[in-house]
Formats: sequence, structure tokens, C-alpha cells
Amino acid sequence: MPATTIAHRPQTIQSLIDGVERYNPENVNVLEEYLATQCKNGDYDLMANLAILKLYQFNPNLASTNVIINILAKALTAVPAPDFNLCLYLLSEQATLPAVEKLTTLQQLLEQSRYAKFWETYNNEEYKSLTAAVVGFEAAIRQVIARVVAMSHQVISTSVLSSYLALSGDELTKFCNEQQWQKKDDVVQIPINEDNEAKAVVVIENIKFEQLTKVIGYSNEM
Amino acid sequence: MYQDNFEEDDLIAEVEFVEQEVYAKRSPTDDGFDTEGASVQSASTTQIPDGVRNFILHFYRNVMDNNVYELHNIYDHSFNKVTDKYYTKQAWPEAEIVSPLVNDDQVFLTLYRELYYRYIYSRMAPTLEQRFNSYENYCDLFNYILNSEGPVNLELPNQWLWDIIDEFIFQFQSFSNYRDHFANKSEQELSLLSENPQIWSCYSVLNVLYSFIQKSRIQEQLLVSKNGGDMMEAAGEYGSRPLYKMLGYFSIVGLLRVHCLLGDYMLALKMMDNIILNKKAMFARVTACHVTTYYYVGFAYMMMRRYADAVKSFSTILSFMQKTKQYHSRSYQSDQVSSKVDQMYALLAICITMSPTRLDEGIHSKLREKYGEKLIKMQKGDEAIPIFEEFFSRSCPKFISATNPDCKVVPERKLHQLNLNVFMSDIRNQIMLPTIRSFMKLYTSMDVDKLAKFLETDSEELKMQLLVYKQKSRQFKWTEGNLIEGEYQSTSDLDFCLKKDIIHIAEVKIGRRYGDWFLRNISRCEDLVATLENKA
Repeated sequence: MPATTIAHRPQTIQSLIDGVERYNPENVNVLEEYLATQCKNGDYDLMANLAILKLYQFNPNLASTNVIINILAKALTAVPAPDFNLCLYLLSEQATLPAVEKLTTLQQLLEQSRYAKFWETYNNEEYKSLTAAVVGFEAAIRQVIARVVAMSHQVISTSVLSSYLALSGDELTKFCNEQQWQKKDDVVQIPINEDNEAKAVVVIENIKFEQLTKVIGYSNEM
Repeated sequence: MYQDNFEEDDLIAEVEFVEQEVYAKRSPTDDGFDTEGASVQSASTTQIPDGVRNFILHFYRNVMDNNVYELHNIYDHSFNKVTDKYYTKQAWPEAEIVSPLVNDDQVFLTLYRELYYRYIYSRMAPTLEQRFNSYENYCDLFNYILNSEGPVNLELPNQWLWDIIDEFIFQFQSFSNYRDHFANKSEQELSLLSENPQIWSCYSVLNVLYSFIQKSRIQEQLLVSKNGGDMMEAAGEYGSRPLYKMLGYFSIVGLLRVHCLLGDYMLALKMMDNIILNKKAMFARVTACHVTTYYYVGFAYMMMRRYADAVKSFSTILSFMQKTKQYHSRSYQSDQVSSKVDQMYALLAICITMSPTRLDEGIHSKLREKYGEKLIKMQKGDEAIPIFEEFFSRSCPKFISATNPDCKVVPERKLHQLNLNVFMSDIRNQIMLPTIRSFMKLYTSMDVDKLAKFLETDSEELKMQLLVYKQKSRQFKWTEGNLIEGEYQSTSDLDFCLKKDIIHIAEVKIGRRYGDWFLRNISRCEDLVATLENKA
């Protein structure tokens, strides 16, 4: 969810990105350090990261491939928000870097819900190494996938779920318990939520009182 | 209401009038700039036809008097008429030639030059030198407005103020484009370019726009008008003057545009904080600004995958333009406005395919009229891809690169391709969804394998498509507050859930709307009864 003010964003960062100081190349270090903090403690701040990419746009000599990779990896954990694409739009110079292309592959697999293939690709060292700096990356991705599963299923077979999450056996059971899903033999039951209910709804017109003032006026005159 | 009569005798005295600053009267039916008659001329004004000379004097007088009402007329109407009459094939005379007529008034000459260069850009191809000179002229104008001691005593019509900002950005875009084509440049041109990196640089353009915003304290003023408070205090010395306030406001829209051109869609929408999109907003005072605002807001939403919000943005402005077609003046901007309207129809076609919604009847019929066949094709999987690409390429803005000529410049083609590719990757992921949806509409429950057979795909593939469908049917949609805010809401009328391998499908039906019908007919009945009673 793109947030323009995040609860844990420090005031220094907030004032930086709100004003014209965001264009000052000397501030790039402050923002890069903030990104490093995000990677370590699991927070995520899209606006601040986009500000880094904007500074790179204006000052290509400052661009650090590592920073770009970390920003993109963080954006992967935000799917289905469009964050990854928003980053790509600012990477005019670096779009063809092999690292960026690899991360884009991962993003596409996630967007297409090809979760089994995602884990298969991700388990290659050259892919895994790209996300190494982001603490809790795999857990975050599993959350993304779990959210999609919870949105679309009431019942899902355990084997399918296992392939989506790249978890099996006890780990899978533990995960289901954390999500408050019920694992029964070979299926997992997901409690009803607002997204997976699929109830036929009839949208009834809501007539507001204000619309009737004229009619009530007429009846007064009678 | 002023009326100026240019009668022949008055002409000779015209020059004296300027010095005495006394007005003459003019009849409303006669534009009055043309005369047959001899007139006093000094050597340097011999090239200027009389009609033009009178126009310039009239123009100068009104600028000096800050007569905004008359200036609007001159700017919007008379200037074009004189141009069409005398200067269809050549440029207006240079400022130096005009200057004796106006006592070398630098402020007027700067404004005159603005029009002079704008004419060159629109009807001829500017040379590098002219591009540089135009830039420096803008710098002079902006310096005068921003850096004089205290606010300047100048008032200009809103249309002109918007056009200044708009043209400034346009010339910047044009220069970026020009810079891309290194191949056919002469040595001299290349060296001029590399010696002057600050001319038409991205930083300087941004600097101007941000300076106007800061000087006019427009953000504070917008906050006060939203939340209440002391407007005079918020506006400060500069911001309370219409010139500064409007330039500040138009600069916000200018930044919305520039950020979109640089690919920073989120920041673009953030610029519009505190501006509410409705008919009463200040951007609605100038049609071209109105259209530009909605175009870039819609485009930014579309690139952020907020298709429902983009649809709303485009259809609001297209609806407005349809209803007010006959009022649009043949101003300098009207061609640009109509081409933007065309582009928005194409973008609307894209967004409506991605996020089907009910459209206003007028817009819907116009859209079908323009793109009926293509709209159908866009729902059909692989055939749709080239149409999406065509619509996007035709309707997206001309992107620009942020870097200076010294560093590697990313040419516009490459930026265009980048934006197109990222955009299309998203479209490709959703291209099968309309087909799936049309099948699902026919059933309340179905087996995954069976549906897969209908769609001529395998069940694994289908399951993934269903998950994608589910994700895409929830969008980040604006509900209230600033443009960039919103909530996740369902935007599809067809929902489903998977129970192992069975799909359970549910449709959202809109109940019959009877309220409006009844209310209208009650009113009609009342009117009838009232008419009958009056006649009795």
C-alpha cells in the first residue's frame, strides 16, 4: 500500500522527501542508510526508496547497483502493489543490468501467480544472492502468496499449497497455524473472509434523504 | 467596459497618447487596427505595417495599465487575428524593432518576446540559437517576477499565465528531443551545447516551478482553503497577488506534468496534494490547464495500475469537454487540447478493458464510435496486444531524460520503450482475463478441469490465471482525501472462490434503480398541475 506518511518514518527522512532537498545529491547517503535499515529490520518505505532512484536518475554517477538491487528486492515483497514497476520506470539507465533482469523475472513469476516456478527459480544461487541483504525476504514472499491464497480459496489441497509456499510437513503445519488455517489431512481450510466468500450480491439503490426534499416540499404545499 | 475607437485623425496623435497615457475610444464592431492613412513613422518602424503598430501600442498600453480584462481579449483574440493577417509566413518583428514604439520598456519587450518565440516554435522550426534565446528570455521574465525587490506590479490574464508555464515546459521537452539527435548536428552546435549545460536543463526547469510554488505560498493557501484559517497570513506578501498565486498554482500542474515525463508517477500525484478535483478548482478557469491536469492525473493513475481511478479521471474531463464543445475559443491552445482529448479516448479504451466499469452514456457512445472494433478485439487475448501497444504509444507523453548533455543522455525512444515494456508486461499478464470472465459469467459453479477444457488450456495454467484474476479484481481506489490515497476495494462484478478444484462463482448484480425515475416523474407531474392551475 503506497503510503505517503508511514508511522515509523523518521522526521528527518520525512522533511527530506517532502521538500526540494530530495534533489540534493549530498542527501543520497542519508537515504541509502535508511534503506539499509529497512533491509535489516523488515520495514518498507516506498517513497523514500523512490527518492533514491530519482537522485540516481539525475546523477547517474552516484548510482549503486547494490542499492538498486535491494530496493527492487524490497519492492518484490509488496506485490501486488505496483511498487516494482514504479521503480523500473525510474531506472532508465540500469534496466538492462543482468541483476535487474533477474529480479524482473522473479517479479513476473509472482505477478503471474506461478509460485512453484518462482521458488524453483529463486533457489538458484545467482537469484538467491540478490535478495540476501533483505532480512526475512522469504517470509515476506510467503506472506504475499498466503494473502493471495486466502483471497481466492476456501479449501485448498495440501499438496498444491505446499508447492505454492515451498514448505512441507511440519513447516507447512506451522505456517498454517500462524495463518489460522485449519489443516485436515490432505486439505487446508481457510476461514471465510471478505475476499473469498463469493456471495451473490445485489446492489440496492440507496436513496438519500436530500433527494426527497423537493417531493416533501410539494406535499407541504398541498 | 472600454471601447477604443481608432479613427484616422487619432492615429497621428497615437504616439503622443502613449506618452500621456490617455485612452482613445474604439467602436466595438471594428477591431480598428487597420487604417489607410499616412502616419508618423520613424526610420526603425518602417517595416511594421500600420495595423500591427497600432496593435502593439494598444497592447502596450493595456499591459502598463494592468487592464487584465482587455488584455485577455488582446491575447486570446486580437493577437491571433493580427498574426493571421500579417504573419502567416514569417515571424513577428524582433523585439528590437518594436522597442522604440514602447519606449524600450523591458518588461513589455520580455512579454513580447515570449509571444514571438512561441510563434516560432509553433509555426517554424527554431534554430539552436533561438532556443537558447528563448530560454534566456524566460529567465529574464522569471527573474523579474521572482527576484525583484518586492512583488511586481504586473497583472496578466490567467490564460496567458498558464500558457507561459505550459510553453516553458513544452520548449524544454522540445529541447530534450532536439538534443537526442546528435547525429545531424554541426560542430558548432555540438560545442554550443556542451558549453551551456544549464540551458534547458532539468534542474533549472524544476527550479523555476518550485520557486513559484514557494514564493506564492500556494501550498499554504490550499491548506487554508481546505481546512480553514487566515488566508491573508498564509498567502503572505507575494501570494496574495493574483499573478503570483496563479503562477504558483499553475506550477503545481506543471510539476505534475514534468514528473510524469520523468517517469515518477507517484511523486506526480503527490504534487496534487490539497487540490480537489472538481469544477470549482482553480485549474478549471483555463480550459487547457483543466484538460492537462486530468490527462496527467489519469495517466499517472494508469501507470500505477489504478485503472478504476484512471477511468474516473478521463471520463470526467471527456464528459466536460463534450458538454462544452461550443464554448472553446480558437485560442493558441485549442489544437493541443483536441489532440489531448483524442489521446484520452485511447487511454480510456485501455483502462476500461482492464477494469470494466459503467461509463457515462455520452462517453461510451463516443468511445464505441471511435474504437468500436478495437474495443472488441482488446478482449480477445493475443489479438489484443498490438492494439494496446498502439494506443499506449500514441497517447503517452513524450518522456524526457533527467541527465545533462555532458552525461549519457537517454534518448526519448529508449525511455518510451522502457515505459511501454513495463506497462505491456502488466497487460500481458492480464490478457486472458476478459475471456475467462465471460466464461465464468455463465455458471455458478464449475470444475477447474472442465473450465480449462473450454478455454483450451490446462488446469495448472488456469489455476494461476484465476489467482491473477482475483488479485486484479482488487484495486487501490481513491475514496477521499488527497489523490494519492486510497483503499483496496473490489472493482469487478464477478467474484469467485476455489474449494479445492471447484470454482464457485458469484456475480454482483445491480438492483433496479427506481428512485431517479420516480423523482423525475413526480416533478413533471407537479409542473403539469401547476401549469394547469395557472391557466384555470
